Amino acid sequence: MKKSKGISTEKLFRLFVYVALISLAISILIPVGWVFLASIKENAEFYGSPWAMPNGFHFQNFIEAFNEAKMGEYLLNSVIVTVLALVILLAVALPAAYVLSRFTFRGSKFLNSFVKAGLFINMSYIAVPIFLMLLDWDTALRVIMGDGVFLNNRFMLALVYASTALPFTIFLLSSYFETLPADFEEAASIDGAGYFRTMFSVMLPMAMPSIVIVVLFNFLLFWNEYILALTLMPGENQTLPVGLLNLMAAERAAVNYGPMYAGMVIVMLPTLILYIIVQKRLTQGMTVGGLKG
Amino acid sequence: MKLKKIVWMFALVLLVVGLAACSGDKEEGDNNDAAGDKDKGKQTTLKVAALESAYGADMWNKIAESYEAANENVKIELTLKKNLEEVIRPNMQAGEYPDAVLLATGRPEALTETLIKENGLEDISDVFEGKVYGEDINVKDKMLSGFTNTLATNPYADGKTYLAPMFYSPTGLFYNAGLLEEKGWEVPKTWDEMWELGEKAQAEGISLFTYPTTGYFDTFIGSMLYAAGGTDFFNSAMTYEDGIWESKEATKVFETVEKLKDYTEKNTVANANPNDFTKNQRLILDNKALFMPNGTWVAGEMAEAPRAENFEWAMMPMPAFEEGGDRYAFTFFEQMWIPAAAKNKDAAKEFISYMYSDEAAKIFLEAGAIQPVNGIIDQLEGQNKTFYSVYESEGALPAMGTFASTKPVPGVNMGDTLYGSIDSVMSGKISYKEWQANVEAASDKLRDAMN
Amino acid sequence: MSKSKSRNIFILVSVAPAIILFLLFMVIPTIEVFRMSLYQWGGFSNTQQFVGLDNFRTLWNDMNFIRSFQNSILLIVVVALITVVFAVFFAAILTKENVRGANFFRVIFYIPNILSVVVIAGIFSAIYDPSNGLLNSVFGMLSLENLQQMWLGNQEIVIYSIAGALIWQAIGYYMVMYMSSMASIPASYYEAASLEGASKLKQFTSITLPLIWNNIRTTLTFFIISTINLSFLLVKAMTNGGPDGSTEVFLSYMYAQAYGNSTYGYGMAIGVVVFTFSFVLAAIVTRITKRDVLEY
Repeated sequence: MKKSKGISTEKLFRLFVYVALISLAISILIPVGWVFLASIKENAEFYGSPWAMPNGFHFQNFIEAFNEAKMGEYLLNSVIVTVLALVILLAVALPAAYVLSRFTFRGSKFLNSFVKAGLFINMSYIAVPIFLMLLDWDTALRVIMGDGVFLNNRFMLALVYASTALPFTIFLLSSYFETLPADFEEAASIDGAGYFRTMFSVMLPMAMPSIVIVVLFNFLLFWNEYILALTLMPGENQTLPVGLLNLMAAERAAVNYGPMYAGMVIVMLPTLILYIIVQKRLTQGMTVGGLKG
Repeated sequence: MKLKKIVWMFALVLLVVGLAACSGDKEEGDNNDAAGDKDKGKQTTLKVAALESAYGADMWNKIAESYEAANENVKIELTLKKNLEEVIRPNMQAGEYPDAVLLATGRPEALTETLIKENGLEDISDVFEGKVYGEDINVKDKMLSGFTNTLATNPYADGKTYLAPMFYSPTGLFYNAGLLEEKGWEVPKTWDEMWELGEKAQAEGISLFTYPTTGYFDTFIGSMLYAAGGTDFFNSAMTYEDGIWESKEATKVFETVEKLKDYTEKNTVANANPNDFTKNQRLILDNKALFMPNGTWVAGEMAEAPRAENFEWAMMPMPAFEEGGDRYAFTFFEQMWIPAAAKNKDAAKEFISYMYSDEAAKIFLEAGAIQPVNGIIDQLEGQNKTFYSVYESEGALPAMGTFASTKPVPGVNMGDTLYGSIDSVMSGKISYKEWQANVEAASDKLRDAMN
Repeated sequence: MSKSKSRNIFILVSVAPAIILFLLFMVIPTIEVFRMSLYQWGGFSNTQQFVGLDNFRTLWNDMNFIRSFQNSILLIVVVALITVVFAVFFAAILTKENVRGANFFRVIFYIPNILSVVVIAGIFSAIYDPSNGLLNSVFGMLSLENLQQMWLGNQEIVIYSIAGALIWQAIGYYMVMYMSSMASIPASYYEAASLEGASKLKQFTSITLPLIWNNIRTTLTFFIISTINLSFLLVKAMTNGGPDGSTEVFLSYMYAQAYGNSTYGYGMAIGVVVFTFSFVLAAIVTRITKRDVLEY
């Protein structure tokens, strides 16, 4: 009697679990899938029921998005800026996070809280001061060289992206490094490895799971960022979200919804594809973390 | 071990190459410019920035072509964007000013207002005293009267013109003439007739009123202020005269708007944002609402949207407050101006004078943009002709103007207070009395800051 | 070369680039924000006028600012609470329950987080549309007409509609964070607990929750920062602060003042208050949630 009752609560619980999981999955899949369907609808179809299936494959929307809004060019810019920013970020943040989490030295405590304070600095309110600063550099440079290079520069945008992501990244990596046992360093030290060698060959490989997470998070951050991109690239080399914003403004004014959703798909698709590839590494990273203990 | 080093080295090389590659574009561009200069001698490159509005970008390309043909010394470099502010604001802060800009006041980003407040515009009064480029007539003689003596062109009310009026359009209440005919409803002339019609329509499940966004109330309220108290009253309101918003004329305006609340389509407030405003405009097309404040561009803007049978756009001036009272149709226009920091001001002035030439007016006309020059109405056809002859056929009085410019006052924004609050009035969140008090309070704060 | 010298060099080389970039592109611009908050400047001209604390004094009496303050706090609290509950719940299910398709669900749940805010704004405009919207038409189909709402028009609920979009996009992100720390809890703990006959709920409250508590504390700080930022981006792309300012948040009001109203210094003063506020709030939250860190 008692046993069978236990089974039924267990069953109820499992039912509840699946209902919860499936509802959340639906609430995500349907709107996202809807955008994909909307992107191949003809303009007149948007005046009917939102649940109607598209009448056909109106691929014209994508052609319009690529031609009118130069989405292809923006795509390339986004790729360049994002990759550069990630490379800079890792090169700078990894050693810093390692040292800040595992070494005690004069000022290390101060630096740690300093970096933590940086978490509160929001891209959105320093965008304009950064712009004004680069502007001053450009003005100074014009006097010497006759031309400024700091604005409208994809590398500078990447550098600023990497810098603004530093506190978060160092914070995340540090908290991971902190959990690693000291045995490995001691072993390496006994083997006669120097500090640099210990870091590169022992500690960094162990941090791989969290590096994957850092890369994923920051990729999305950089790829989707638009306030800084808008501010620091007023002329050329605009990135994809800025392009989408232009496209949306244009198509909305023209009551032309198809290309607007096509533009949304163009922005979403690379992140979706990359995510599907990277998420496997993420799984590995997690299992490695799980086995560790 | 070695591998790691190679990876880091590789990353470093990538950075260096990246820096070079990324700034490469710019140098290339400069080289091209230099080459261009050599070829053409002393040519001025005039940078023109224009908002790409419902009229499309094509007309500007044509204007640039025809001006380059007319004036060999000038090469036009166009910046055409729907979100023009976001593109030129940072460039202007960087010291790269366009020479001439077509961007109206009253946009949410308020870039033009910022420049007015900062005294960043060039005085262009002499353009209107001088000749139209390529023609033997003075600009002011060619222009429709009344366009260059409002606060929208002379923001400091000092008799000097800083903004050139472009693309005018009468505004009023737009409706489906087909629907009213079909139902046998008379077009209302007074607010009392409006309310009557509202009751009749409500019985059939149609709302009397909708609005795209609260921004469209600028001309709506403007016309009502004129109707309530005439020109002097309007100007006092625009110059923040003490107590003006608490006068009985103003109260009449506030009350009327609040009364509209009961007749406004229920989805209106939800869609009254820059993303969804076309959904409110569709309420007219679908016969779900009768009237909305708008401008003549709406016909083109909604050209592709499906509509009820026998749909026919029509426009009427604002209803009068009493039988036989004055009815006004506010004239909306965009503005072209020259930044005080522009490099080629004289060339820009010439270019602006060209905007009023027959040639330019014709190019604009083809795209549906109407320049305020004499005889233009005779060239209009079809629907536009009925819209633009509202002043003759319907006996509407023209109304123009906007708020006087002030120095920036932190936390006080007349547009938000006077127009933005209408969403709250319509949803019943605030009463007209609170709204009125807020407007008067804002007016008090702005009065001292007038330039 | 002595050990301590090489150690110092190592520390310097590792930390210096990060510190330089951090100073240059974060600390200095922030100082600029503080400095400019003491000035009156329109944004273009060269006339910057020092006005001392005037901007802050005006702020104190600016009802619109106070409203944006209330909206932001509401969003932070609502979004953080609901997201943490959901994220921990789903993370626990997906790591500890033997759910079929766990991997599939995890992949799906994370999707909203990889979307650009611009795209999310587009999606939620389609969801919240009063007549043709996905949400209202679903309620219509289920004959639940009384649940239909003006999601973006009713000033009483529009801020919750924004919160809904923020929660929708945040659950997956925090779930993955909690999952990775749950996954590192040794399975032996749970084995031992179930041998002692501890129920699932008991296991959750006495093993899982304490061991990921530090992680949750950390994410609370993230919530404060990211909600302030994301609510601005979302509001800017979706409602533009409307209807009539009822979705105005910290940073959207800051931009409205710095640009729309040509009071750059005043906008920066708002920035200073937001910065200070988020800092203090996070400090308080960190303090009151402090527990002894459990090692394993």
